[in-house]
Amino acid sequence: MEAFFSHCVYVGRGLAVTLELLAGGFFIGATLGALLAVLRYNGVGVAFIKGFVSLIRGTPLILQLSLIYFAAPGLIGLRLEMLSAGIIAFGINSAAYVAEILRGGIESLPLGQFEAAQTLEIPRFFLWKDIILPQVFRNIFPSMVNEVISLLKETALISVIGGLDVMRAASMLSAEQFTYFMPLCIAGGYYYLLVLLIEWIGRTIERSHHQH
Amino acid sequence: MSAPIISINQVHKAFGGAPVLEGVDLSIVGNSIVGLAGPSGGGKSTLLRCIQGLEKPDSGTILCQGKVGFMFQDFQLFPHMTVLQNLLYAPRLKDKSVAPRQRAEELLTHLKIASKADSFPDRLSGGQKQRVALARCLMTNPNVLLCDEPTSGLDVVTTSDIVSLLQTVRVMGVTMVLASHDLDFLTQISDRIIFLKGGRILLDQDRRQQTDSLDSLHALYRTSLSEEE
Ligand SMILES: Nc1ncnc2c1ncn2[C@@H]1O[C@H](COP(=O)(O)OP(=O)(O)OP(=O)(O)O)[C@@H](O)[C@H]1O
Ligand SMILES: [Mg+2]
Repeated sequence: MEAFFSHCVYVGRGLAVTLELLAGGFFIGATLGALLAVLRYNGVGVAFIKGFVSLIRGTPLILQLSLIYFAAPGLIGLRLEMLSAGIIAFGINSAAYVAEILRGGIESLPLGQFEAAQTLEIPRFFLWKDIILPQVFRNIFPSMVNEVISLLKETALISVIGGLDVMRAASMLSAEQFTYFMPLCIAGGYYYLLVLLIEWIGRTIERSHHQH
Repeated sequence: MSAPIISINQVHKAFGGAPVLEGVDLSIVGNSIVGLAGPSGGGKSTLLRCIQGLEKPDSGTILCQGKVGFMFQDFQLFPHMTVLQNLLYAPRLKDKSVAPRQRAEELLTHLKIASKADSFPDRLSGGQKQRVALARCLMTNPNVLLCDEPTSGLDVVTTSDIVSLLQTVRVMGVTMVLASHDLDFLTQISDRIIFLKGGRILLDQDRRQQTDSLDSLHALYRTSLSEEE
């Protein structure tokens, strides 16, 4: 039992990296994704955005992560530390998916919402910030919760570039203890608890929105 | 005769090759209520949208003096904002003082929906939504108000409410153009009725002069209805 707790503490050392990757990646994914979706709807850089989304969705995340961490220094002289490279890679990857989710959400809003704002002379920036995107985010909320959950699990790829996250900590413990089962179960437990937490937060936010 | 507040000159508009407005000429004097009647597809909504600037005519000109407000058939309230927020959002972008809030509260009281100030639109009845939409338009102090089908989906009692509501708006000095299928409603409230069909004005009747000649209007409606069949 004591061993179990000390194993939990050991694997738990990876939580900080996992959560930082999740938070940073989601922040970039949501803002960049929203920006891309809005630009695309307004006809700005449509071909570029389409190409970007297609490439990101069409190649493995592990490849994108490796490109940014291993290839970027030689290619453009940009050397990032592990955490920044991870956040950027996960953020960019997530942005492509968020942009697609948002595009669907924007297109399904009634055109009249845009027109009503136009007749009230609401400037374009405020139209998007306060009228369109809040409604879209509310409508696509379940998909966004899904995106956060996927992102959480994808952060486990960080070990490829040496990040010490939950998954990596579990592997290290396995190597030390010559046993795989317990450390992996503990890592799985952490991920699963985080997913449950994300779902709970999602439900709480959704419920508070449906109050009225 | 006072100078027109809206001048529409030879306006043409087509959608994908199908003509919708075919040379509409119309001038509307200030402080009047003009009813736009006509069969479905006759171009009423398109004409209103052109006046507002939501559609651009293919040719012809539309001149409008002053500020225009637009009431959508389905209101288009912002569903994620309360009634009060719906009223205040746009004016507050320009005026950070307490003035918009005072005006909003005045309007809500005046339109008898003050008790709904903090409700969200999905909790309102059709008639209440309409009042909110009207109040939201009036917040911008328009001198022209365009209403697309203001009585659609409302029962008779609510319709008569709208009549008195719009009459109070007129007292504020607002010129109105109302597009509607409802001839009874239009004849109750309009000073002038325009019958629009196939993108052309077929009849232009001054309701203040002749109180008895509704026949031609009804006849026009009957013929356009029987043509549809
Ligand atoms: N955005 C659009 N794209 C294509 N066609 C359109 C568009 N808007 C209107 N139309 C067409 O223009 C014609 C006139 O439509 P409009 O809505 O102006 O008529 P209306 O008199 O308001 O009819 P109703 O009484 O049914 O509201 C219709 O045939 C309609 O299909
Ligand atoms: Mg119409």
